[in-house]
Amino acid sequence: MKIVVAIKQVPNRDAPVRIAAGGKWIDESDLEWAMNEPDAHALEEALQLKEQHGGEVIVVSAGPERVAATIREALAKGADRGLHIVSDDLGARDALGVARLLAAVIKPENPDLVLTGLQSEDLGLGQTGVILAELLGLPHATLILHVEKTDAGLKVKRELEEGWFQSIDMSLPALLTMQSGGNKLRYATLMGIKRAKSKEMRAVSAAELGIELAPVVTLEQISAPKKQKSTQILSGSAKEAAAALVEKLKTEARVL
Amino acid sequence: MSFFLVLEERGGHIERVSWEALAAAHRLAPAGEITAVAIGAETAALAAEAAHKPLGKVVRVEHPLLAPYTSDGFSAALYQLFQSQSPTQWVVLPHTYQVRDYAPALACRMGQVLIGDVTGIEDGPVFTRQLLQGRLSGSYRHRGNGPCFVSVQAGAFRAEALNAHANAGPAPIEIFTPALDPAQIRTRPSEPFRESAQTVDLGSAQRIVSVGRGIKAAENLPLVAALAQALGAELAASRPICDNGWLPLERQVGSSGHTVAPRLYLAVGISGAIQHLVGMKGSACIVAINKDPDAPIFEVADYGIVGDLFEVVPALTEAVKAG
Amino acid sequence: MNLLPTLTEPRHFVLWERALFAALAGASAYGFWRRFGPILGRILQSKKDPDFRLFPITKRVRDFVWEVLLEAKVIRERPLAGVAHALVFWAFCVFALVTLNHCAAILGLGFLDPAGRVGRIYFAVAALFAIACAVAIACLFVRRFFVQPQWLGRLSWESGLIALLIFMLMATYLAAFFVAAPAGAVRALWWAHTLALLAFLPLIPHTKHLHLVLSPFSVFLSRGGFAQIPPLRGDEDFGLVAGKDLTRLVSLQAYSCVECGRCMEHCPANATGKQLNPKEIVLGLRGYLDEFGPASEEPLLGKYASQQAAFECTTCGACEFQCPVGIEHVPILVGLRRGAVNTGAWDDAYGAKLFLALEKGSNALGLSTTERDKFVEKNALSIFDGTQEYCLWLGCMGAYDPHGREIVLALVRIMRHLGTSFGVLRKEKCSGDPVRRLGNDFLFQQLAEANLDAMVQNRVKKIVSICPHCVRTIQEDWKEFGTPPEVEHHSEFLAKFASQLPSFQSQQKIVFHDPCYLGRYRNAYNEPRQVAALAGELVEAPRSRERSFCCGAGGGLAFLGEERGERVSHVRAAELAATGAEVIAAACPFCNTMFRDALAARGGGAPELMDIAQIAARRLPERNAG
Repeated sequence: MKIVVAIKQVPNRDAPVRIAAGGKWIDESDLEWAMNEPDAHALEEALQLKEQHGGEVIVVSAGPERVAATIREALAKGADRGLHIVSDDLGARDALGVARLLAAVIKPENPDLVLTGLQSEDLGLGQTGVILAELLGLPHATLILHVEKTDAGLKVKRELEEGWFQSIDMSLPALLTMQSGGNKLRYATLMGIKRAKSKEMRAVSAAELGIELAPVVTLEQISAPKKQKSTQILSGSAKEAAAALVEKLKTEARVL
Repeated sequence: MSFFLVLEERGGHIERVSWEALAAAHRLAPAGEITAVAIGAETAALAAEAAHKPLGKVVRVEHPLLAPYTSDGFSAALYQLFQSQSPTQWVVLPHTYQVRDYAPALACRMGQVLIGDVTGIEDGPVFTRQLLQGRLSGSYRHRGNGPCFVSVQAGAFRAEALNAHANAGPAPIEIFTPALDPAQIRTRPSEPFRESAQTVDLGSAQRIVSVGRGIKAAENLPLVAALAQALGAELAASRPICDNGWLPLERQVGSSGHTVAPRLYLAVGISGAIQHLVGMKGSACIVAINKDPDAPIFEVADYGIVGDLFEVVPALTEAVKAG
Repeated sequence: MNLLPTLTEPRHFVLWERALFAALAGASAYGFWRRFGPILGRILQSKKDPDFRLFPITKRVRDFVWEVLLEAKVIRERPLAGVAHALVFWAFCVFALVTLNHCAAILGLGFLDPAGRVGRIYFAVAALFAIACAVAIACLFVRRFFVQPQWLGRLSWESGLIALLIFMLMATYLAAFFVAAPAGAVRALWWAHTLALLAFLPLIPHTKHLHLVLSPFSVFLSRGGFAQIPPLRGDEDFGLVAGKDLTRLVSLQAYSCVECGRCMEHCPANATGKQLNPKEIVLGLRGYLDEFGPASEEPLLGKYASQQAAFECTTCGACEFQCPVGIEHVPILVGLRRGAVNTGAWDDAYGAKLFLALEKGSNALGLSTTERDKFVEKNALSIFDGTQEYCLWLGCMGAYDPHGREIVLALVRIMRHLGTSFGVLRKEKCSGDPVRRLGNDFLFQQLAEANLDAMVQNRVKKIVSICPHCVRTIQEDWKEFGTPPEVEHHSEFLAKFASQLPSFQSQQKIVFHDPCYLGRYRNAYNEPRQVAALAGELVEAPRSRERSFCCGAGGGLAFLGEERGERVSHVRAAELAATGAEVIAAACPFCNTMFRDALAARGGGAPELMDIAQIAARRLPERNAG
């Protein structure tokens, strides 16, 4: 099976974020970057499918120079080759604009399966995979936890709301967006890092792909949320505190 | 100009989140200009339910191939609907798993991009949504002339606001029959299922009540178990409780037990040793009950009650039952 | 009348006797070489140790004299059996000349005349050693076959035979003082002695007595640094994956093992019902080398050693510390882990979680760095800017663990009281201790390099830390990737200023638990005691100082979930509590957290658990608080 995994490099979840001057995006200097977690699960699923059924895993990512490090990380974990769409203006593109870039390099590969994470940890749009399927003319399924290859194609396990699941049969080629937690991620190894040095990594500039920058949706401004998390201590008698808590859980936290 | 609100059905009814989306739609256009869309294989009851809401019209998009839900079916049917009425200006949807599955593709087919998971609408209109997992929020605008797709986060708008509208009698209902061909539908979904109930599944529990050393003796556990039951929560514990054999090891939360991330984590008599904190820090809402105001658990809690758990827990159980 | 009886030896040997001797000696030597030759071959064919340096040689000579010639380790650990062993060993040394002369005599080349002045004295001295040796070997025989200590393993007939042969050698030698020449008995004794000798020689390489030949080398050539993890060299070195990765030192050590079981006796994993037995690990390598040889691609973790056992090691180093023949167990066990982790063969949910947390984040606990920032801010800890004397290294436990934070804050109060200037780094990553000991070289390198970089950028000259694991890793392990700053453990810092800290008369009994990484790894036994003694009366646990028993957290095991068998921490906490002390003093945040849990599970009446910094800070004037 020839599998393409589209991954995104995002600010490390742990990294403190500051709003950049101009207020359009965060200050990227001094930021640590990591592979988007749902994409890591997509990669893991691809590697497991390859281990079971053979084939090739190709990693695609768009972004500036720094993105190469995340592609190399994917190669170290076991992907066979990397495709880097070098683009410094990713932030100015909307989900459709990014998906067009990805589609332009994925289409010529003619993959049997395209995997990507459900959504990114930075923008959290959760659309790129679905749009990519539309652009590539592939059937798709989202929120996938588990993929099984069948004679007819695939049987996938999809997460629904409130603890329900569903299995979906589909033929290949297809595109799936993977939910986090469906598989166990592997850790990076010294051997993987050393082997990755000799793997092919091709860089294509976004300009070469000839996809114009014409966003339909634009991010105008970012801001810090009004409320910072702090502990609310509920006082009063046991009965009063209990009643206040239930009220808070219902109306504020909305978990009851 | 058309304004569509796509309703979502679950269990034969329209989900509350659809009405929250209607409330959001009211920010963009007068109620009378809004056309609600009930889509499926059998939509009469849904449309009748919708007709009593403050909106202009209900369209039943009905076809046998629209049940069960498939992205291919819904995208194709709604695309035909939006193309048939000209020109579509707004499409508002609830931000559900189902909408996330087809709406981006549908928008793309119309050369558009969905503005998803919207939590606020300001003048402009400017749409607000969360970024970086809630650490920041972003303001979005739609450009150009095509229809604008917006999906609305559950809980962000109040469905109760709809009650303020004067009821002008049921809205008219139309039927739209899309042309669908079985070959268009490329996925074959099964009936939804739940995982076979395992004995204890802390990992996927939505609510957890966890008990620590403050409980003092095994005989006192039923107190906490009763609270867990009232909340419909799983019972869990910190390490010393399991070490003592008061609860089985499979209920241990922490670095040597399970890592959990429920929507509600209620820690009773747990001081918050690091081994415990690393196992539950991902919980969406953390409540701590402890008699020591300096207990580290209060540092990570959203809500805290400083007090004797032997008084607070029974009171809380009563309050939950009463609520 | 002569005070010294004279050894009687045959004066002349006939030709057939010489021929017989030559034939038997040849056969004996062949029997020796048939086994020893291949062993030597396997050791020499093993990969060269990339970090081996013969110099500085003085430490090697000192260790050799102390451990080999004086048998200090053997005696210190098991005084009775140790002295018995030493007597046998010393007798062997004395007998070297006697035996050489004995064999030379038949060829007419004898150089020591039993009747001559030198000979008489030498043989008399040898006789004294022979008596001591005969008694000692008899005692050891009784111990081996009747007392049967469990750590010696299963009984073997070879041991009995060897004991018998040694006894015979001594007995025949001594008997020769009491027969008169030229009786036939003299000749019979000579031959009996000779036959025992020639039977003994080929047995050496076939049994654990191989240590007679190899242990002087294994002691002299050992890496020397305690529990020192060697660097990996080249693109194909991932640790101990297969036979091809075994180095000469490892192979030499594998064949040097004398199977005394000291390692096993002191191993916390072995003592609590786990699979790991350090002796079996070493003997497993020997078995592997015998079957597959030093060039094999056959995985080391397989037939002769289990992965599970390798990952049960807390790297406490008790085994290595006790080993009388210089076997370095910790690098071997860590080497096996490196082989499994660096190639991805180790599949463990907890381990993967730890590694993934450190691949993306900064701390082993997987918490957000903002938690550390909040702690630093809340307690007004100044940021290190190169002007302060000390960089206060928080470590993961000090920055995130509520109890670790209390220890840090106690130290902070003291430093403020003393007027010592210090600051904390704005950003700090895990020192790499857990991943280093678990064998993840990729992550360790990343962490060490990032931290070393921060040290240079912030112009850090001196670090103080509450965590012995960080101290060890920074001081020793980071060296592989740069020059770490000077590091002090807070016990060392506090001991320096002990005279300026408030002490008070108290009857409170305090038992200090020696953390492995402070004691055996760093030789700091007195400093923490000096600090703890400020606040009470010290009592000692049965196992203390060099023989301290691990808390169970080391080697990354604090992060690996539930252990099999009994918990190491519970065993140690019970031992500490049984001293009757009111306070257990710890000097490591990991020990602290392990004992906190263990004592909690014991229920009421448990002693109070405090770090030495908290003990020292207890009587500080309150205005210095915060």
